[in-house]
Amino acid sequence: MGGTLHGTRVLDLTSEPGFFAGKLLGDLGADVVKIEPPGGDPARRRPPFWGGRPDAERSLLWLALNTSKRGMTLDLDRPRGRDLLLDLAARADVVLESDPPGRMAARGIGWDALRARNRRLVLCSITPFGQTGPYARRRGSDLTVTAMSGNLHATGDPDRPPVRCALPVSHSHGGIEAAVGVVLALLAREQTGEGQHVDVSLQEAMVMPNVGMAAMFRMTGDRGARAGAFTRQRRSVAREIWPCKDGFVSFALRGGPARVPGLVAMVRWMDEHGMASAKLEAVDWQAHNLNLLDQAQVDALSAEFAAFFRTRTAAELHAAACERTLMLAPINTPREITASRQLAARGFFVDVDDPERGRLRWPGPFARTTTAAGDPDAVRVGIRRPAPRLGEHTEDILADLGLARDEVARLRAAGVV
Amino acid sequence: MDLFRDTTILEFGGGAAGPLATRYFADHGATVVRVESRRRPDFLRTLRLTPETPGGLDGAHHFAVLNAGKRSVALDLSRPEGVAVARRLALRVDAVAENFAPGAMARWGLDYASLARDRSDLVMISTCLNGQTGPERHYPGFGGQGSALAGFNHLTGWPDREPVGPYGTITDSLSPRFAAFLLAAALLHRRRTGQGQHVDLAQVEAGIVCLTESIITYTATGEVLGRLGNRSRHAAPHGVFRAADEDGRERWVAIAVHDDGDWRRLVGALGEPAWAVDPALATAAGRLARVDQIERHLEEWTRTRTALAVAGLLQDAGVDAAPVEDFGDLHEDPQLAHRGHFRPVEHAVLGRHPVETHALRFSAMAPRLDAPAPRLGEHTAEVLRDVLGMPEDELARLGAAGVLE
Repeated sequence: MGGTLHGTRVLDLTSEPGFFAGKLLGDLGADVVKIEPPGGDPARRRPPFWGGRPDAERSLLWLALNTSKRGMTLDLDRPRGRDLLLDLAARADVVLESDPPGRMAARGIGWDALRARNRRLVLCSITPFGQTGPYARRRGSDLTVTAMSGNLHATGDPDRPPVRCALPVSHSHGGIEAAVGVVLALLAREQTGEGQHVDVSLQEAMVMPNVGMAAMFRMTGDRGARAGAFTRQRRSVAREIWPCKDGFVSFALRGGPARVPGLVAMVRWMDEHGMASAKLEAVDWQAHNLNLLDQAQVDALSAEFAAFFRTRTAAELHAAACERTLMLAPINTPREITASRQLAARGFFVDVDDPERGRLRWPGPFARTTTAAGDPDAVRVGIRRPAPRLGEHTEDILADLGLARDEVARLRAAGVV
Repeated sequence: MDLFRDTTILEFGGGAAGPLATRYFADHGATVVRVESRRRPDFLRTLRLTPETPGGLDGAHHFAVLNAGKRSVALDLSRPEGVAVARRLALRVDAVAENFAPGAMARWGLDYASLARDRSDLVMISTCLNGQTGPERHYPGFGGQGSALAGFNHLTGWPDREPVGPYGTITDSLSPRFAAFLLAAALLHRRRTGQGQHVDLAQVEAGIVCLTESIITYTATGEVLGRLGNRSRHAAPHGVFRAADEDGRERWVAIAVHDDGDWRRLVGALGEPAWAVDPALATAAGRLARVDQIERHLEEWTRTRTALAVAGLLQDAGVDAAPVEDFGDLHEDPQLAHRGHFRPVEHAVLGRHPVETHALRFSAMAPRLDAPAPRLGEHTAEVLRDVLGMPEDELARLGAAGVLE
């Protein structure tokens, strides 16, 4: 199987906000074991379900974020369950968890207890606000951590409340951040021989998506504001998401060296169809600076582009963008994404076969890797296995720990696994 | 400890998606050297540039906040001598990161295949919108295009309105995290095995992986998930409500009820008003059926209170609630202050200003931000001396010839 993290053993105790971190480590070849309570993770009960049938093995949320993991059940509220976790941690490199701060310690499996068993262990905790500080004990979720990051404030239409993405992007940001933190801690361990506790804050992870604007406040005084499908310029707002014949496309009238060729090519294309006025053709795009125009000038300029986009479908506009190197993109849905010739050519989508559940098409490798020696398997990124069925690998993992089969049977009868 | 005190990373490119990735390394002691050009500067250095901008290319706020702690070498890559210097640097450092359009590095002979011939254990990462291969690899675009292509715009906004945001062209902040993860893992792999690698990261693909749930929902059921405003398909109420204005600014508060227990706590915190104690609202299904009505009542209650007061009162009752903070509020946020998210640096043109670090805190090492973003070419001579051991007469000759800008 290989992978740059091959040989790294990870125990994943997280709930939904932390699922993504373990999936990413697994996609790089780490052996990730998802540990669930004997009744199964609550995410298994969340619709929608594959096939429409409520079933612990068919929650699409669960399936989406737990690929490349093995799975076992373990009751961490029982002393025997906690002992087994400490035994597993003694042989592991990484533990991932997303409990409220203090809950792991209260159960006797906090950082001190884990470290006492294994000085080389890396513990990574993913929580809304971090392990310490005035808000550490507050409740938080995607909506509320995003609210406290500046990002929600600046997203949405000006005449409506701030608005979020329908899927929890803070979990994506926080999950990758955690994966970075784990690898940095493993690199540090190479130097010191010791693991450490990595503390991820989802709130803080959502500040970076403002791409510098939060730090710039001290210099610009700009608190951010919602502009909907528009972007804010110095003297106006300018449309960036435009209705087309059958959907929407993204296109900016902003200038600058990188965008000028696309603007010139767009006007040329409009002109081929008699849809560029003499005034539009006369625009000197090299000198064009959207920041210097007032709203009436921006609106006049925009009207011709808006009229042209309405005559074309998103697919036609995308095809032209590729051919004519226009800096324009369709507002894709999964329908267009799964039909993309670019993604097909890169082998991005993979069919994951599951003997019981069937075959599903997945977003696969998030990076392509090669080596000078032509040994791609050694560094391959991508899905290693479908999400585990409930308790699928419990016996294998306990057998690795040296437990005899009858002992596992006793644990099962007692409800520990 | 400074984890990367012995690590040097050479960076080509600009904007946010490339440079944010190497900040993780710079913040932990790495020497990150940006190869820049005065003739074709990073667009962040020119974003709001006017003839009156103090410091010119060195006075750009946006460049300054994203590139703290790095060094800048100015080379003319249109000349063979400039490319030769870049190549010598690439072969000497620990890793190369670039986010030019596909093919640019190859035109200079600085692509992985060319460099790896002279250094088989090279670690290099290339990031761009669509990846280094495929029929649409040359498709041009910034994060705005990435966000649209990956499916984020479609999911953000109101169901009865056109798609929006998310603010900040999200692939510009997701993909640097992927790049840092892959680069760090590649360095770990080389330390353990001696083997280098090239990583081709497509920003659109990284974004789509984050939206896996929507993709497999479509491939499994044919359903295309759409915009929901702030609502949840599984719980209610889940939204953002108008609070009392402050200083003439409109303020908002987010309230998220995840289960029936949360609802009972919310109703208690509200003082059990008649509309809320209706038994039909005791279950998620009952609340989802009447979500419009619940949201109206809740907003009547929040409208007369400050966002901070509402969030504090509800949090004390164990309900998930938060004030909506703007970019200014973040500098007053006690939790971000506790974690030291913003840290001051002293910039030659801009003076003292804050920069941000990542969202990780480690028990045995700390992010350290004590240097500002570099002026263009600020470290050219220093880096060529330190990394290449370039003698003074060669430095002088290349400088006089204009190879060093």
